[in-house]
Amino acid sequence: MADSPLKLFVYDDVVIGEELGSYEYILTQEMVDNFRASVEDPDASFPTLGVKHDATAFAMVYDDQIGTVNAGNQVEFFNPPIVGKKINVTGRISDKYLRRDKPYIVLEATAVDEDGRMLEKLSTYQLKKPDELGKKWHPEQK
Amino acid sequence: MASRTEIKPGQALPTVTKKITTASILQFESCGVLQKENIHNNPELAKKRLGTTYAIASGRMSITFAAEIMRKFFGPDVFNHTGTVNLKFLKPVKDGDTITVTGAVSGTEDVDGESHVSVDLFCENQDGDRTAVGIGTAVIK
Repeated sequence: MADSPLKLFVYDDVVIGEELGSYEYILTQEMVDNFRASVEDPDASFPTLGVKHDATAFAMVYDDQIGTVNAGNQVEFFNPPIVGKKINVTGRISDKYLRRDKPYIVLEATAVDEDGRMLEKLSTYQLKKPDELGKKWHPEQK
Repeated sequence: MASRTEIKPGQALPTVTKKITTASILQFESCGVLQKENIHNNPELAKKRLGTTYAIASGRMSITFAAEIMRKFFGPDVFNHTGTVNLKFLKPVKDGDTITVTGAVSGTEDVDGESHVSVDLFCENQDGDRTAVGIGTAVIK
């Protein structure tokens, strides 16, 4: 899907259950080391969190001019990824809703390695009106 | 790490404290396979989209910190294969912040010979403001 032209993201056009396709990458030791250093945890087992599987799947499909703020994440861990293995990620838009008049979408990604081991399932609750959150954080800037 | 028989409601998880810097935020952002400018690595974009004067750390950094205390409490053999972390982000985390992640067992339930453990998770900054709250779970066989 990475070779396809990006679609302009329009919130009203998003359909719940929309598939974002899949992509693959090979986990390298450098990626693991970089991730562990960034979070100061030499034993961090899921450098896949730094890859942002679901947001990456979304960004490979959509040109999002609005931007987003991550309101929450839900992660299920099944097996730590192994260096040198190919990881296959499948993404979709699993939900879309308004809360307090603010638009949200939920991205979901499932990661499986080349041996068929389930690695992680990640969901992100994205607020698609980031300026509203900025105003909440800094009301003096309204 | 805690064993099944030792885990009781109210029991505290190990605490971790992390100093957030621009360098650590940017390093985390560099871990991806798709390098794009965003509100985490580009202060100008953060200003345009959020109205902030700074780039904010990815919430996934806090997810990783929470996963760390869960892994230390349950042990990697348990947490890395049965664990979950679910956080709601409340306040921005930025360069200069110090984030302390704490947790406490909220409940245990025996299901088919397994112990399902739930944990309340909290991330606080140096001012005592909660930046994220949520729950974690793990299954001890």
